[in-house]
Amino acid sequence: MGILAEFSGPESLKAVAAELRQAGYARFEAYSPYPVHGLYEATGRRRTLLPWLVMLGGTAGCLAAILLQWWTNAVDYPYIISGKPPFSLPANVPIAFELLILFGALAAFGGVMVLCNLPEPYHPLFGCAEFRRASADAFFLSIDAADPLFDLKGTADLLRALGAASAEPYSRPQTERRVPGYVKATIALLLAAALAPPAYIAQVRFSRKSSPRLHLVLDMDFQPKYLPQQHSPLFADGRAMRPPVAGTIAAGAAIDDAHLLRGETGGQPAELFPMPVTMELMERGRREYDIFCATCHGLTGDGDGATSQVVVLEREEPKWIRPLSLHLPTVRSQPAGQLYQTIADGVRTMPSYASQIPVEDRWAIILYIRALQRSREGTLNDVPEELRKQLESIHDDATSYDDQN
Amino acid sequence: MMQHHTTIKIEDDRTHLAASNFPAVAASIAVGMILLIVAGAIGRPAGQGDSYTLLAASYLVSYLFFLSISLGALFFVVLQHLVRAGWSTAVRRLAEILAANLVWWGILFLPILVPVLLGKSDLYAWSIPGAAAADELLRHKGPYLNPAFFAARAVFYFVVWGLSAWFFLKWSTRQDESGDPAVTERLEKTAPAAMILFGLTVTFAAFDWLMSLTPEWFSTIFGLYFFAGSVVAALAAMILFAAALQAGGTARRVITIEHYHDLGKLLLGFVVFWGYMAFSQYMLIWYANIPEETVWYLERQTGPWTWITAGLLFGHLLIPFLGLLSRTVKRSRVLLSFWAVWMLAMHWIDLYWLVMPTFAPDRLPLGIMNWLCLSGVGCLFLAGVLWNARRRSLVPLGDPRLNESLAFENF
Repeated sequence: MGILAEFSGPESLKAVAAELRQAGYARFEAYSPYPVHGLYEATGRRRTLLPWLVMLGGTAGCLAAILLQWWTNAVDYPYIISGKPPFSLPANVPIAFELLILFGALAAFGGVMVLCNLPEPYHPLFGCAEFRRASADAFFLSIDAADPLFDLKGTADLLRALGAASAEPYSRPQTERRVPGYVKATIALLLAAALAPPAYIAQVRFSRKSSPRLHLVLDMDFQPKYLPQQHSPLFADGRAMRPPVAGTIAAGAAIDDAHLLRGETGGQPAELFPMPVTMELMERGRREYDIFCATCHGLTGDGDGATSQVVVLEREEPKWIRPLSLHLPTVRSQPAGQLYQTIADGVRTMPSYASQIPVEDRWAIILYIRALQRSREGTLNDVPEELRKQLESIHDDATSYDDQN
Repeated sequence: MMQHHTTIKIEDDRTHLAASNFPAVAASIAVGMILLIVAGAIGRPAGQGDSYTLLAASYLVSYLFFLSISLGALFFVVLQHLVRAGWSTAVRRLAEILAANLVWWGILFLPILVPVLLGKSDLYAWSIPGAAAADELLRHKGPYLNPAFFAARAVFYFVVWGLSAWFFLKWSTRQDESGDPAVTERLEKTAPAAMILFGLTVTFAAFDWLMSLTPEWFSTIFGLYFFAGSVVAALAAMILFAAALQAGGTARRVITIEHYHDLGKLLLGFVVFWGYMAFSQYMLIWYANIPEETVWYLERQTGPWTWITAGLLFGHLLIPFLGLLSRTVKRSRVLLSFWAVWMLAMHWIDLYWLVMPTFAPDRLPLGIMNWLCLSGVGCLFLAGVLWNARRRSLVPLGDPRLNESLAFENF
């Protein structure tokens, strides 16, 4: 119930709103086809609460995101990803940012719905045919009958006095409208149908079956491929399974050279090398030794490699077992085949290097170890003639230096 | 149709500065030169307190600080034409004047460029002869990072910026008298090309002048980071420019609180954009954790630089975000001016943080040198602004969208 009055333009609408407010009216509403600056202020309303709702929503979203990530990543199921701490803020920022925006947007949407009393499928003003022009070319002002100053005749006279082109009462239409039966039936049917999926899920969730419970997407189950022992028209022998190419040998089946591959001769560790010993092999051994062995056993084989130095010197690990010196009598006396087995299979805390060092390289390394061992019992006679003099002069310098001190 | 009640009469307002501001310009140049000469005079060879390296780095920070204000202003001008904005017409001339310093700003780049060409730069390690030979990475980057190409690029940037700034100011000023709408159409047609060139030049200028201070390090988003900070600085400078003019009795009616409100909104937006860029850069590097990338942040996360890094996170993003959020703040000249000063200070700290850790990884080199350079270059910048503002309306009087801008209201 109320009165709907039409005015000529935005300026008169503003003026009337201000007048009504001064007269003490509170429950009135202005309608214009486009936003009119100053109209909101003229109606004397407080500024909307919406920004605060959005801020509240945004803050809640941000906090919810951080709480969620903290709970899932750091408390409920701690899981280290990419070496980061379980609770690490930088990783949480994108989610927090997105949820801040999402919750802010939802708060804006919900806030508008609530503050504007939406959804409002029917409003008494819709009964006025004239009112449709409010979104085209007319400026209206309505006063609700619930306003304490409202008086059907007096208010209408006041509006006319203020310049209204018309001031007509409006009210809810008398004819009562009911929802048709077929609409009700359709809604009931849809509701019943909506119950079917959860009912089915509940049924498969709590029953036992040998086949998959619920199998909606079948595309990986039926593939256009041949299974073992199937017939195929593509080949002359009609078999889908293809035999290996003539002369194929299974991996590791053909060559069995006990000496080369296992370092054995006659069931005992081999004393000799399975290949000719050359300077080339020696150089190769030196290179591979420096790569794979020197980190623990040291460049000269004393068992003082980099790992050992780090552990002993920096971490002061008391339980650390030093890598063996290759110059110990027990190591020196080992036949080449036994060294080979150590590299291939590992020994005590040393792991197997079979996956890193190919067979030939293992033997090359052993050759280089032999050279390292031999270097410790060399005499001046082992040094080539032309280098001997140089070595002696170094020796002389060293002794004369010792004498001086 | 939106209707405009133009209650603001431009005739009632002062739109020009005092007839002759030549003494102010001359004084500003003189003071600026003296301050810079003093800074140069107290410079000492490397290894001592106020070393030449520190002088060069301080000069670079100051130089880029004012350059970025002009660049941000140029972006603002081009953007308004690009989107055919109506609201901003009343304040666009301020941005045009700030941007017009780009016409001659290249001269002040010479103290940075000449040492690079002579192979004696204290700033750019890659430019020292022999540096590339010792470093595989620098050798690889050699085709890009070499003094000749560096200089050629700098010339190109200044030509593009100078021409754009000059073009938009000149035609807009011409329109003041003619009121010819064809000028607006012409500027709008030029804006897309100017914007594309602007984006490319700013990105590569940031790569050249800031990122190559640590030549081994790289970040493809770095140009955008510098750009975001520049726009923040320019908007803050425009707010202060407008407030200063109005306090002095110019454009009191033409520039309304609605314009401040919108400049404040843009400032808030670009504060967040800066944070978005800064975090986008940080997040990828932090997550991948590759030494060649993290080294740059490690330098800024150790020792006293930790505090500057944290200070930027709070001072350049979180605190101004909350501070500028409210409508009331953005519609208050005093409060908005406060945040504009705050953001300018933060932008200076941002540039300081980008440049200095390379030269002083274990301390904050803060002293007379910084202030001499900042105030010296600042005086020259001010002289340029006064010079650009002379004999010219501070409002685009002939712009066909001026009425729309005057009638503009926020809801």
